[in-house]
Amino acid sequence: MAAEPTELERIARTSHSSSGPTWASALGAVIVVMGVLLTASHATEWMKHSVLTSVAPSGEVPAPSCPKDELEEEGLTVAECEYMVSRLQGLLASTPAWFPGLVGALSALGTLVAFATIFIGAALVSFRAWAPRAAAIALAALLLIDLGTFTAALNAGPIIRDVYLRDVLLWTAIHVILLAASMVGMHSMTREVWSARPTRAS
Amino acid sequence: MQRQDFSIGAILLHWVLAVSIFFLFVSSWWMLALPLPSAELRFREFPFQLHKNIGMTLVFLLLLLLYLRRKVRPSPELEAMPATMRRFVGIDHIALYVLIIACCLSGYLSSSYSGWGTTLWWAIELPNWGREDEDLNIFYSDVHLWTCWALLAFVGMHIAGALYHAFRNDGVVRRMLRL
Repeated sequence: MAAEPTELERIARTSHSSSGPTWASALGAVIVVMGVLLTASHATEWMKHSVLTSVAPSGEVPAPSCPKDELEEEGLTVAECEYMVSRLQGLLASTPAWFPGLVGALSALGTLVAFATIFIGAALVSFRAWAPRAAAIALAALLLIDLGTFTAALNAGPIIRDVYLRDVLLWTAIHVILLAASMVGMHSMTREVWSARPTRAS
Repeated sequence: MQRQDFSIGAILLHWVLAVSIFFLFVSSWWMLALPLPSAELRFREFPFQLHKNIGMTLVFLLLLLLYLRRKVRPSPELEAMPATMRRFVGIDHIALYVLIIACCLSGYLSSSYSGWGTTLWWAIELPNWGREDEDLNIFYSDVHLWTCWALLAFVGMHIAGALYHAFRNDGVVRRMLRL
């Protein structure tokens, strides 16, 4: 009777190459791409709140300055230039005092976790044993950050809801999908490891 | 002697470049909608300085990455692919490198001719390349804009190619995601 295949042999049979199964390669690469995009997105959000709270702590925006040469350089009309100021003034006026601190902190945390997912995704592609569990934990953390931002925006009035909710909803959906895939990967890996272990009877 | 794998340094640089490039794109869309600057309106000051600092640093990081990867052979899986596809991969990589440098340098030149000073990481005052010149500023600003849009298109193709190899699980992306 032929010997039971080892865990590595089993893994090798499920994939095109010998380094890991296809699901881990595909899921890892998608997590890396999303990690890069989300790091950039959260870092921008973080910077946005830092700049707005430090430059306009009172929420007041000075009168617009629209010199002709600057307008020409940026391809703007006077109306657009004035709107940039009134839009910012409107946004600051519609932002509750607690919102920048809370969303800024969530974005800072999101930047760090999203950056970590790039390495976790890489570990998944390299099929490290700890990677599916780490991916599930990091994606659950990102999902909590999304839900925190969603709840904050939901309670911050219609203008802020309009600015935030669509993007946050999209990221929430992406994180739910990736979290589900990571959990399936984690469970299938556990099954593979357990089924590869020799039983007492054998 | 040629080697098969990228060094850890090259891999780290690649991902730092990737995050930085996307941060520059996403943050620039926000910062360009901020009010035009004046003595009172200073919203653009920090984001623009940060944008210029990261952009200039990217050129050095890219040159370092090119130096580190000079002896890395293309993967055997890639060599086994059809000639048209290999040519396309080569063109995409060269275009990425050229466009990153063109995008960053045109941004610096545009800033240089605009009259706004640049202090590298708030520490080193960089000399302006020329006197304040509105026409040259607009010219380099347009070059900056279009090379950056072209860069985004080639980055998109690069990502599509990487995902194609990841879904095939042929080991190509593992070279840049080795951990």
